[in-house]
This record gives sequence, structure tokens and C-alpha cells, in this order.
Amino acid sequence: MKARHAAPLLAAAAVLLALPSGLTDFWIFITVEVLAFALYAVSFNVLLGYGGMLSFGHAAFFGVGGYTAALFVKQSGLPPALAVACLPLAAMFVSAAAALVIGFFSVRRAGIYFAMLTFAFQMLLYTIALKATPLTGGDDGLTGLKPPGLLAQPLAYYYYTLALTGAGLYLLHRFVSSPFGHTLRALRANPLRVQYLGIDVRAHRLAAFVLSGAFAGLAGAIFALSNGNVFPGWLDWTASATPVVMAVLGGTASFLGPALGAAVYVVLEVLISGRTEYWPLAMGIIIVILVLLMPEGLTGLWRMGVVRRGARAAPLPTREAR
Amino acid sequence: MSSPILRVESLVKRYGGLLALGGVDLAVEAGEFRAIIGPNGAGKSTFFNTLTGLLRPDSGRVAFDGRDITGEPPHRVARRGVARTFQITSVFGDLSALENVQVALLAHARRSWSLWPRARALGAERAQELLALVGLAASAAKPAGTLAHGDQKRLELAIALAGEPRLLLLDEPTAGMAAQERLEAIRLVHRIARELGISCVFTEHDMAVVFAVATRITVMHQGRVLAEGTPAEVRARPEVQQVYLGETA
Repeated sequence: MKARHAAPLLAAAAVLLALPSGLTDFWIFITVEVLAFALYAVSFNVLLGYGGMLSFGHAAFFGVGGYTAALFVKQSGLPPALAVACLPLAAMFVSAAAALVIGFFSVRRAGIYFAMLTFAFQMLLYTIALKATPLTGGDDGLTGLKPPGLLAQPLAYYYYTLALTGAGLYLLHRFVSSPFGHTLRALRANPLRVQYLGIDVRAHRLAAFVLSGAFAGLAGAIFALSNGNVFPGWLDWTASATPVVMAVLGGTASFLGPALGAAVYVVLEVLISGRTEYWPLAMGIIIVILVLLMPEGLTGLWRMGVVRRGARAAPLPTREAR
Repeated sequence: MSSPILRVESLVKRYGGLLALGGVDLAVEAGEFRAIIGPNGAGKSTFFNTLTGLLRPDSGRVAFDGRDITGEPPHRVARRGVARTFQITSVFGDLSALENVQVALLAHARRSWSLWPRARALGAERAQELLALVGLAASAAKPAGTLAHGDQKRLELAIALAGEPRLLLLDEPTAGMAAQERLEAIRLVHRIARELGISCVFTEHDMAVVFAVATRITVMHQGRVLAEGTPAEVRARPEVQQVYLGETA
């Protein structure tokens, strides 16, 4: 982590730690949603921004994580203290397993074909969620979920979410800064060339896919227990647009850009849908403006500002994989 | 007599009805600086792609250092010690020049799977040395995509060298350069390859470049080897002059 990033990050952490004292339960609930979707969008962008893979079925892993958490609190029968610790691991494990299977087939293709494969597998899971009623509750989903033990308190659940999201973002940041992460960036920039370094492209793509899926699953688990319900709609193909929009809104070229995108998206949705039923219309307009006027997203806007002011800054990276 | 570092036997590659390689034989001894020449469409690039596993040969055999590598995927071939550069310059455009070489060093050290250490400093010193070796020390921090064409070619060379190859395949290493730049570029490769004991095979159109450095020359025409020999021998062959040298003189 560069020193110039340390101060804003500490400030953000302090704000997030102190935040609940100034918020109503409703806004604490919304902040949990922001954090969960921030993790979701960043995990998605590890694939898109670093690996150059546009998954159009990422809701599959968010949904699998959500359903895993729901089944876990309903069925596991573990003592609460143990359940609190095992829940995130279970959600990540099951989503990673799903990502391993889906990824095994999907990473064989690139570009639009990769997107179509992830899309198709997600529809498969959607159908399972819809039809395997004894397990998933079918069309009604799984409802009345409560986080285990003390986490049933909104404030406790907020800090639980904050800890998990913080840990998840830290881990993902380590991964993208690691030799594996650099290899992934090279692979996005030039998949042909990277093979001639001795890199097995397919295996590295699959590993990135599984990592990304695991953290998307964690995000889904966090949101499921906060929300109290999971529905098959979480796995519907339209749900897969959400992380795409969040990532592009925030900017795919920076690690935390998608997290910012998630925050703006969720808060705008709350504010606008509280006043009008035309939230999707507003979102559509925002996306059009965004893509036409600031293709690097909100973080790109900030960086262009830095460049214009003549500060010393690296040139904006060219993005082939958009 | 040691066995050749690269031995290719009756390599055949078809694209549908088109015979791109019609049974190519080639033996390159260790320490050679071999040029492959031939008109456009002679099958030179297809030959490189088939050698290195990007394309599967329809028949024939490729042996590197006595081991059969026929049909192995590119990453396996690379790990055995075969590096290559591309006709159309191929670097990692939005990584810095230094990072380009670092990624190659990490791959060579089998560290592409390590998830925890921070990569920023890993191999940075060695990467800087390699950049200096090809004359790019001052451009380390620049995104590779913003480098001038000739500098990208040098960067490709540094990337290839990071893998400590024993055989270097260069597909038109001087493509797109001005005449004077070309000689400089090939002499750089030649000098480094000699210093490091790397055997080289390169394809080239510019005869001045070929005759400046090649120890032996193979002439390809329509997917076959038309002639092979020392530069003097090849120059003297009438059918070579007719097919190739005559056209470009």
C-alpha cells in the first residue's frame, strides 16, 4: 500500500467504525448493504479489471453464497459462537466450488463466449433455485433468516459485516498485488505473449475465477442474513448486471473504484426509489451519462482531475478489456 | 558430435486444403545464429507457431535438446527453455517496461502462483539489469504501450531473456524499423546471444541484416526448405537467387 493511500484509508476506517452512532437502524441496514455490495463489486472487478474477463453470470456466486448462508443458519444447528465463525467460510467454500465447476468450462473461451458461458451456467443455477423447492424454497425463496447469536443485533451485525468486508478487501488487494495478480494483468494485456513466459493461461484464469467467486459468495452471505431473505431472483440474469454497473460506475481501473460505485449505486437506489417508482429509468440515464462522459468511472474522473492540475501522475492505463 | 539443440523432422501443417508446411526438416546446432529467409507466405511464421505449440502439426516431429516436444502447448515449450518474440510486437501494453520484465522473471521462477508476497519489488533489480542490457534502463517506469516501436522490440527481447532461454526464436525482429535501425537491432540481439550462449533462429526479409549476423541460412519457399548453407553457399545457389534474392535486390 502506497503511503499516499494510508491517510484516506485510515480516515475511511475511522468513519466506518464511528458511523453507526450517528445512524438510524434503517441506515445501518443500508450501510451493511453498501459494504456487502462493495465486496461483491470489487471481487467481480478482480476478474474484469485485472483479468480482462467480463463475467455475465457473477450473480450466480453471490446467490450461491446467499443460499448457503440461509441453509446454514436454518439447518446447521451449530452453537451460535461456532456458527458465526463457520458461516463465512461455508459460504466461500460452496461458492468457490460452484466457481470451480463453472470456471472449468467457461475459461476455455474468452470475450463474448466466456460471457455467454457464465450467463448460461447462471441460468442453470437459477432454475435449480426455482425448482428444487425442498432445498431452496422454490419461488418463495428462504425467508425469516436471522444471523446467529449476538449478530441478531443490527449494530453487532454491522461490525461483523465491517470486519468481513475489510478482511475480504484486504485479501483481494494482497492477491492483485501479488505475483499472481501481476501475472493476471499481463494475461489481460496479452494472453498470447504470456503463454510464452511459461504461464498456463487457462489455469490462471480459472484460479482468478474461483477467488472472485468465493468473495462474491461471501458478499452474498453477508447480505442474505442482513436482508433476512434470499430469492431465486438473486440468481436471475438481470442480477448479474448489478456488479457490472457498480464496477463501471466506480471505475474498473482502480482497486476500490467498484466499491465506490457500489456505495453510490445503493444510496442512489434508496434515495430515488423512495421518491419515485422509476428508479430503473434514473439508473439508465446515469449509465448513459457515465459511459459517454466518463468512461473511466468516478475514480477515473478524479484521476483525470489530478492529471489536468498538472500533478505528477502516471498516465491513465489503456483498457482493452471493457 | 553433439546432438542439435533443435531438430525438426518432416513437419507438416495444413490449413484446410492449403499446405502451409510441406514437410520441413531443420537442424540447428547449439550456438548457431540461424536465419530463415523466404518470400511472404513461405511459411516462416507458421513454422514458428508450429514449433512452439501454438499450432498443432499434422505430422512430423520437433525435438528440443534431444527431447520430443511435438504438440506441447506454448507454456510447456517455454519452460523447457525456448523463448520467442513476435512479428507484430507483443508486449504487455498497460504494464510498465519494468513490470513487463518482472512478470517474465516471476513466471520463470515459477512464482506466478504465489498469492501473498507483494510483487512490486520482486525481481525489480534483475529486471532493471535486463532493461539496461537492451538499452532501456531510462524507460523502466513508462507504460510499455507508450514506448516507440523500436523500444518495444527491445523490451520484447528483455522479456524473452528473462526466461534464461537456451533457444531464442525471433520472428522478424526488425520488422517496421528504418534500415539503419535494423542493423543496430540485430547486432544487439547477436551480441547478447553470444554473451549469454543462447542459440538463435530468426526470420528476416532484409538481406543486409541476414548477411551481417547469420552463421547459417535456411531458405524456405512454399512451405518447404529450398536450400540451406553458410551465407556464402546460399548466396551462390542459382535457384535461391531466382526465388528470393533476385526479387528483393
